[in-house]
Amino acid sequence: MKALLEFLYSQTIRNKVLVFGVAMSTIPLLLISLYYYSFVKSDLESRILEKQNLVLENLSREIEFEFNQTFQRIHVLASLNQLNKEKSALYELLQQNASIEEVIVADDKGFVEKRVSRYELNIAGDKEQWFSDEMWFHLQTDDKVFGQVEFNQYGQPVMKLAIPFYENDTKKALGVVVQLQKMIGKISSMRQDNSSYIYLLDEKDRVIAHQDYSKLWQKQSSRERSDEIGVTAKIDDLNWVLVMEQPKTTAFAPINRMLQNGIGAVALVILTVSLISVWAGLYFTRPIVLIDREMNNLKKGRKISPIKMKRTDEFGKLADSFNEMSKELLEKSKLLEQEKERLNVVVNGIGAGLALVTKEYRITWMNPILKGWLKEERLSLPCYAVIGGENAPCLNCPITCPDLGKIADEVMKFKDGANGERIFRHRVFPLNHAIEEEGEYLVVLEDITEQKQMEETMIQTDKLSALGIMASSFAHEVNNPLATINVYAEDLIDRIEARDEDLDEDEMGHYLRKIKENTERCKRITGNLLNFSRKNDWTEDHIKVKEIIENSISLVEHQLKKQRIQLELQVGDALPAILGDGLKLMQVLVNLINNAVDAMESEGRLIVFAERIGEAISIRVTDSGHGIPPEAMDKLFDPFFTTKPIGKGTGLGLSVCYGIIQQFGGNIQVDSNPGEGTTVEIQLTVHESMEVGDNVSNEIVSRGR
Amino acid sequence: MKTKWYFFFLTTIAVSAVIYALLGIQDEESVEIGVLMIGENRYEKFDGLKAGLEDLGYSNKEIQYIVKNANNEEVLLDTQIDELLGSKPDLIVTLGGIETQRLKGKMDARKIKIPVVFAGLAAPKELGLIKDYKAPGGLYTGINNYHASISGKRLEMLTSLVPDIEKVHVIYDSKIDVSELSLKETKASAKTLGVSVFPCDVGTKECMDTLWKSIKKKDAILVLPSFRIETLTDELVKLTQEKKIPSMGLYDFEAEKGLLASYGASFYSQGYQASRFVSLILQGNNPGDLPVELPDGIRFVINQQTKDSLGVTYNEDLLYIADLIHPEVQGGRKR
Repeated sequence: MKALLEFLYSQTIRNKVLVFGVAMSTIPLLLISLYYYSFVKSDLESRILEKQNLVLENLSREIEFEFNQTFQRIHVLASLNQLNKEKSALYELLQQNASIEEVIVADDKGFVEKRVSRYELNIAGDKEQWFSDEMWFHLQTDDKVFGQVEFNQYGQPVMKLAIPFYENDTKKALGVVVQLQKMIGKISSMRQDNSSYIYLLDEKDRVIAHQDYSKLWQKQSSRERSDEIGVTAKIDDLNWVLVMEQPKTTAFAPINRMLQNGIGAVALVILTVSLISVWAGLYFTRPIVLIDREMNNLKKGRKISPIKMKRTDEFGKLADSFNEMSKELLEKSKLLEQEKERLNVVVNGIGAGLALVTKEYRITWMNPILKGWLKEERLSLPCYAVIGGENAPCLNCPITCPDLGKIADEVMKFKDGANGERIFRHRVFPLNHAIEEEGEYLVVLEDITEQKQMEETMIQTDKLSALGIMASSFAHEVNNPLATINVYAEDLIDRIEARDEDLDEDEMGHYLRKIKENTERCKRITGNLLNFSRKNDWTEDHIKVKEIIENSISLVEHQLKKQRIQLELQVGDALPAILGDGLKLMQVLVNLINNAVDAMESEGRLIVFAERIGEAISIRVTDSGHGIPPEAMDKLFDPFFTTKPIGKGTGLGLSVCYGIIQQFGGNIQVDSNPGEGTTVEIQLTVHESMEVGDNVSNEIVSRGR
Repeated sequence: MKTKWYFFFLTTIAVSAVIYALLGIQDEESVEIGVLMIGENRYEKFDGLKAGLEDLGYSNKEIQYIVKNANNEEVLLDTQIDELLGSKPDLIVTLGGIETQRLKGKMDARKIKIPVVFAGLAAPKELGLIKDYKAPGGLYTGINNYHASISGKRLEMLTSLVPDIEKVHVIYDSKIDVSELSLKETKASAKTLGVSVFPCDVGTKECMDTLWKSIKKKDAILVLPSFRIETLTDELVKLTQEKKIPSMGLYDFEAEKGLLASYGASFYSQGYQASRFVSLILQGNNPGDLPVELPDGIRFVINQQTKDSLGVTYNEDLLYIADLIHPEVQGGRKR
């Protein structure tokens, strides 16, 4: 049963519907048929028994009546006391009862005195004994005696009946021979329905009447048999038993025949209902089967054809929806393929290394470029070990600190083996729709070695350009102290040679101090120059803005003076230190001041202003120059764009400034009104730990000095 | 594909069930019973047979009778038997001795096995139709109408009814075996009773002429079984009435026609009784197992009109027990 249920469960919905339809059309019909069959069967059995009882009751009454009537007539005849006269009374008995063959009167010895016979001559034999010994014996005590069933000379079953009577105080007997053939014949030949039969057993259990004559005179028991339906009726005086039986096979033949006929009808009904069920099942499941088939085709990527169904019901709508959905799916799949192709091209051609990383820092996928960089696929190691060669996750990694809410953007260096150390930009993007364990983060690695080198070159070029511009200023700056030294030195030599008495040690000391001061001044100027011109990598440190501004101004001081530009320096002492490369900031400021000086040409006003605004330090360089034309505003930060005359500018200044400020994480804005002047504002972020400006080192400043 | 197999399977089962059901519908076949009679006067037996079968529960639809009547012509009887055997009935009922004997001859010759019920004939054992009354064996059974054995009793009845009778003319047919047997029985009884009997063979032309010429008062006529004699009933009635002679026939129709009395089983009752044998055989019994029966009843009939016209003295006891026919003429009773 379990296996059958499992088998059914494993079937397709169409087969289930078919089985359901056939079962529902068959089972109720069979149950009803079974109920009616059992009901009708028991009903038929009770009716058969009822009928048999009725038949036997009638028959037994008839037999009893026949014998009782005969005895009654004999009694009447004997009581009339006319037997000694003529035979008319005996003839009358024959006339009254057609079953009586003969009537005799026997004397007290049992010899026949008189005889009237229906077939034989009415002659009594000499000392003819009519009674059997048993009958004669019973006749002495009983008032009526039955003889045994016996046969006459023609083989007819007959029976003798007798009663005693008194004639003139002499006990005599009146006997009759009763023919049984009519009674037996009637019982035997009475037509019974459906092979039921009646038989009559005498007191010795001999069959004395049976429809089947071959069973006559055999001994048979009247007890009930399981394969027969039957009843019995006892005839008391004679001790005879009437039995009516019918084999169950034939008794139930009508309902079996009905069942047989019914099977045909049931089969036809089942066939019809099953066909309807099957049709309905197919009708209802066809759309499902079609959709399932097309769905499988779709799943396997085979060509699918639209499901055509002329139906407006739910299935029709479902089929339409499926058609639309599959069409859309195909289109989207196609788009996806295109996207995928593009993505593949991008991923493989972008020049960047890509990797998918799980929350556990495990790399689940990397593109060929990254694989090429890493030279091996050590996917089992964490990403920071594979990519950065670190022992712990990167600082600010979004995997470690998902709450930061920003993309990690770090530059890292590592050796790729072939090309030595290279610089990579390493960024990590959290993926919002990633599948768990498939990689929830996208790591992007960009080889920015060339870019960095280019930037460095640009910065250095820009710096050299500035130095070139400032070269004459530097010469003048150095020249003045040198002239002073020279003057003091010559004056001292002259006075020594002249053995000036006034030249005492104090005055000589004054001379030498002056020479020393001016020498130190020269040294500071050249030191600043050297420091500025030094090519260096980004060196991050805590820097004091004010000092940087002052150092920057010192580089261009001569230029300002030369062009009679009025410098106004508005820098507060309480500015906090910032994190970054001081030399680079100086390069920015020098560039900006140079641009201002160039814009003003001669006479003008330059304001260098620095203040803290919230979490940032704002440095503004304002000039009163000719300003920048509006059309040039958009291109200001483009490399090699310049409004200066040829030979005066490289066009790299602002571009380099922009790059450096970006590195600081700040921003730079230019505001200019043609004819009025330009203000360039730099905003640099202050880190909280840098709040106390006095305590920070001032390596850059000191270095510049 | 699976659906096609399913349909095939289902249809096969359904068609098989329908065929099975159709096999179950069986028309009740009617039974063909051949009825053979020598002449029209046996028709009463046929009526009795039909009534008996009807009383035993057979409807007319179930039984189809093929009736062959030879119209008292023996030659025609053979033809009728041939036709009857040709139609192969399930069972044949013969309505008299001559029919049964001729049928047996034909069936034996052609080795045809059809059960035969004789609806009353005298001395079947003596005629070789059966081996024994109780177990006849063979294909024949039916009613021994006792008309041979009862001949002596009939003589006794005749002489008892009219005690003045001195001489009894016994009319028999030497060509009919039963008639001969009856004559033998009659002669034996006559000897016991002390009655003078004078046989008269209707097979000879002189018989009737002699009777017409020689019969006189205190003579009586006893008719023995023979279909030929049955056909002479009208002439015998004319003779007995003209000569005022008491006569004893076999059948009630003879008394009805004008003979004084008849003592024997009636045609109707023999036919009625034969229906039991027909039923038993139709229900599957072998005719050889069915004991030959005596008539259920022997009828003693007196024609009151004839009785009154003869002017003889009658035994009142016997008159009392007799069935009087034509009672409407002078009153009487009918059983």
